[in-house]
Amino acid sequence: MQITDLDLQYFISSIKSVSKYDLSNYSDKSLKRRLQKVLEDNSINLMTLINRMMGDRAVVEKTIRDITVNTTELFRDPTVWHLLRSRILPRFKNNKTINIWHAGCSTGQEVYSMMILLNEMDMLERAKIFASDINTDVLETAKHGVYKYRFNLNYLDNFDKVIKQNPLNFEEYNDVPYEKYFDIDKQRDTLSMKQFMVDKPIFRKHDLVTEGNIFYSKFDIILCRNVIIYFNYALQNKVFELFHSNLYPKGGLVLGMHESILGPWANKFERLGHAYVKK
Amino acid sequence: MYKAVIIGGSAGSFQVITRILSSMPPNFPLPVLLCLHRLKHVRSGFVEALSIKSTLPVIEPMDKEQIKPGRAYLAPANYHMYVELGNKIALSTEEVVNHSRPSIDLSFITAAQIYREKLIGIILSGANRDGAYGLKKVKDHGGIAIVQNPAECQVKTMTETSLKMTPVDHIFNTNDIIKYLQKVK
Repeated sequence: MQITDLDLQYFISSIKSVSKYDLSNYSDKSLKRRLQKVLEDNSINLMTLINRMMGDRAVVEKTIRDITVNTTELFRDPTVWHLLRSRILPRFKNNKTINIWHAGCSTGQEVYSMMILLNEMDMLERAKIFASDINTDVLETAKHGVYKYRFNLNYLDNFDKVIKQNPLNFEEYNDVPYEKYFDIDKQRDTLSMKQFMVDKPIFRKHDLVTEGNIFYSKFDIILCRNVIIYFNYALQNKVFELFHSNLYPKGGLVLGMHESILGPWANKFERLGHAYVKK
Repeated sequence: MYKAVIIGGSAGSFQVITRILSSMPPNFPLPVLLCLHRLKHVRSGFVEALSIKSTLPVIEPMDKEQIKPGRAYLAPANYHMYVELGNKIALSTEEVVNHSRPSIDLSFITAAQIYREKLIGIILSGANRDGAYGLKKVKDHGGIAIVQNPAECQVKTMTETSLKMTPVDHIFNTNDIIKYLQKVK
């Protein structure tokens, strides 16, 4: 089952006609692959899917959930967290409040990683944590903060690298126990964030493509990692504009390891390692 | 006359790819796309290791980076690497394919769709079947399909699966791959 450009156009315009979702500026290679996967997983052809979407709004919502990619990890890419710890977060050390937005937070591991880091830097109490995703299923998981232990086992290593060790000073070692932030139950195969962690963030459904800032607040830091790779160049620029206008001056923008601002918005930010700072 | 070379490799391909990169003409007229399996946790050091002997600059590209001739683009660890319209790289963190991210199949399939008959696909030593279907797609679109001689491979699975799946243009030892690439225009 090979999806043609025409099929893809038909799919995009069908979704657009029955909902507010606009996939027309998604990266076409990824979108084709995702659509193909949805069809294969449900053993249906494109016409059947489109007919079902036309008749039932819930099918549109489910299709949107199914085509989004939800890869995330605790402390994914430790070098980024080292940068946050040593060069980005210290800039806000004396702020009365620190507003942070995780745009495209998926199942929330990054949100909780950030909270752990903030707490270790004595900044968590002053932080307001906002997190959003287009996919309501992953948001539910994020709100509960309960994960499969064995899927997250490998990433405890990252916790050690970011929280326990200091890359700038190898003699320093903070033996922070995991239980300070989450409980591990090997029998039940769960890793559950503590109640004080789960209670704090504000999670909201949000579509970066069609909605602006829904949090009625500007931000000191925006993290949006491995989200814009699914958008084409034009749409990426639109998202950079949204981020730029909702960051405070000198606010930080953290993208994925292989994402960058290539277009006209590049000169509105300064580079800070892998990250960007609004000029 | 060609627009790109794409090379896929896994277990046992590191030395082969190093030899190929060290023998490329410095003014090679095409981009070289590299999709090589590696340990997920080894995220740094690989591009440096390949760069040491390479005559072409080896780059782990950013998403939407423009693809330019005379450069080698290495699929970054833990991302799938696609080729998109406008001759750009696109990255993705979708689920693993054939137990792999990056998946050689995905890189080959998308490159074949963009470059069609102007693509040269090469499959090297490897321990799984990732890449075999991708090479078939290169061939289906009229491109050139090359596999490393299984007899020379440290691990034959990838090349043998490729040969079962599609009739290839050449079965080459490393030296012949190098000679072939010297003449590519």
